[in-house]
Amino acid sequence: MRRTSSILLIVLGMLLASSMSRAQEIMIVTNPAVSVSEISRDQLRDIFTGLRTRFADGSRAMPVLLKGGPVHEVFLSRIIGNNPDEFRVRWRRAVFTGQGAMPKEFQSEAALLDYVATTPGAIGYVSRVPDPNAVKVLTVSMKR
Amino acid sequence: MTRRVLMLVLLGLGSVGLAAQSFNLEDLQIHGFATQGFLYSSHNNYLTMNSNRGSLQWTEGAISLNDPLSDNLRVGMQLHMYQMGQIGGPSVLIDWASGDYDFREQLGLRAGKVKIPMGLYNDSQDVDSLFLWVLLPQSIYPVDNRDFDLALLGGEAYGEQILGPRGGMLQYSAYYGESTLDPNGGYNLQLQQFGLIFSSPPSGRVYGGDLRWVTPMRGLLIGSSTQSQALDGTAPQGSLHMAPNFMDAFYAEWKWKKASFEGEYWRSPVRPVLTIGAEVVPISVDSRAWYAMASYELTNKLQAGTYYSHYVNQNADTSLAQNYSKDWVIAGRYNFNQYFYGKLEGHFLHGTGLGYYASTNPNGLEPNSNMLAARVGFAF
Repeated sequence: MRRTSSILLIVLGMLLASSMSRAQEIMIVTNPAVSVSEISRDQLRDIFTGLRTRFADGSRAMPVLLKGGPVHEVFLSRIIGNNPDEFRVRWRRAVFTGQGAMPKEFQSEAALLDYVATTPGAIGYVSRVPDPNAVKVLTVSMKR
Repeated sequence: MTRRVLMLVLLGLGSVGLAAQSFNLEDLQIHGFATQGFLYSSHNNYLTMNSNRGSLQWTEGAISLNDPLSDNLRVGMQLHMYQMGQIGGPSVLIDWASGDYDFREQLGLRAGKVKIPMGLYNDSQDVDSLFLWVLLPQSIYPVDNRDFDLALLGGEAYGEQILGPRGGMLQYSAYYGESTLDPNGGYNLQLQQFGLIFSSPPSGRVYGGDLRWVTPMRGLLIGSSTQSQALDGTAPQGSLHMAPNFMDAFYAEWKWKKASFEGEYWRSPVRPVLTIGAEVVPISVDSRAWYAMASYELTNKLQAGTYYSHYVNQNADTSLAQNYSKDWVIAGRYNFNQYFYGKLEGHFLHGTGLGYYASTNPNGLEPNSNMLAARVGFAF
């Protein structure tokens, strides 16, 4: 009986974790000086994989990352279409061939938001934005 | 001489950056990797290792420094050390060292020692952690000769152009400079076997370009590269002269969900002339090489794949084993965590046209051999 309850608890835990992952809210934030207010998923993917270095208006885009955690993983799988290992390999290729530098990484959303708020061109992702005046939240469209 | 030019280029670019803003070590990035390889072959000794007895004589490591001095300017360098049997050595090589100024999306300039974009993997072929494979297809990326093919001392212009909402993106680059044979590399070892021992390694002008289309079909990339390379050197015993020759590459890559497919075709006709004492030895090689590979991500940590690699010297009797090399490969890679990984690979080699040296095969070569290759690595 105790074993059955344990299995039930584990299954419930897994279902809860899975539904939390699906429901994980991701907000794309930029420095307030960035002029674009909408970005497509393809543009986001290109900027965060180093394929593009500019926003649609031609201004410089500087992607920043969270070091890990559910928001980072959901962002990678939902927007970039990579698992963390694949994503790391893409950037290591740029670094070790002399074609790019690794984006800055932050331990917490608060640190990432502080950096984005004060760095021209910075773009990142978080689960919530406590101060909507400090950063700009972009709308993500499905168009190319 | 080349080191002095490199230092001047770096100092020049560095001073531009320092004038633009004060040096900020906070942004300095340090990355690196280290790997240890193992080869065991059923016949013949491969890549100058005693692979027939099982060999661990394959160690590599690199450290990379990168500093974005401003939004548009970045400087960096990478030091690389490798030992593979009789090739390589304890000396540390400059893999690349450059200043990179990005004017706009359509134009950037890189100067110093820069990696050569040729085909899918030429510029990244010495970074083991990027690949599923222990050995990339040797018909196109021969590991014993890669240090000559990898980089040039000079400059590169690069950029990209968005082709509209349904056109995808074009990426392009053009380069010009000089490349020098690695004194401890495979080409130099082959020249030594002809009796030419260079005190100053042969070098020559190299220029070329690469054009790739990131198509609007998600994951599909196609491209083409071309390169002209000349080479000259004088040794006490004679000389090497190679007039500029053009090498062409065509390639495609398609990533679909957890599967990847890649293929390349390279043609490189070369006609070096060796002068050894009074004897003139013209060599004519018309290399036709291609490979097709497929891989699949079984789990987040585990990848498996296979490829077929094909090389033939069209200017020689293609029925002789020494003029072709055909290799069927199956491979697996496991990522223990974000830093450590291990790889295991089986090779079924036919022909002896690539990767074999007389110095480690004094009794001649068997036409076919099977091989087990393994590699563990660490990257950060």
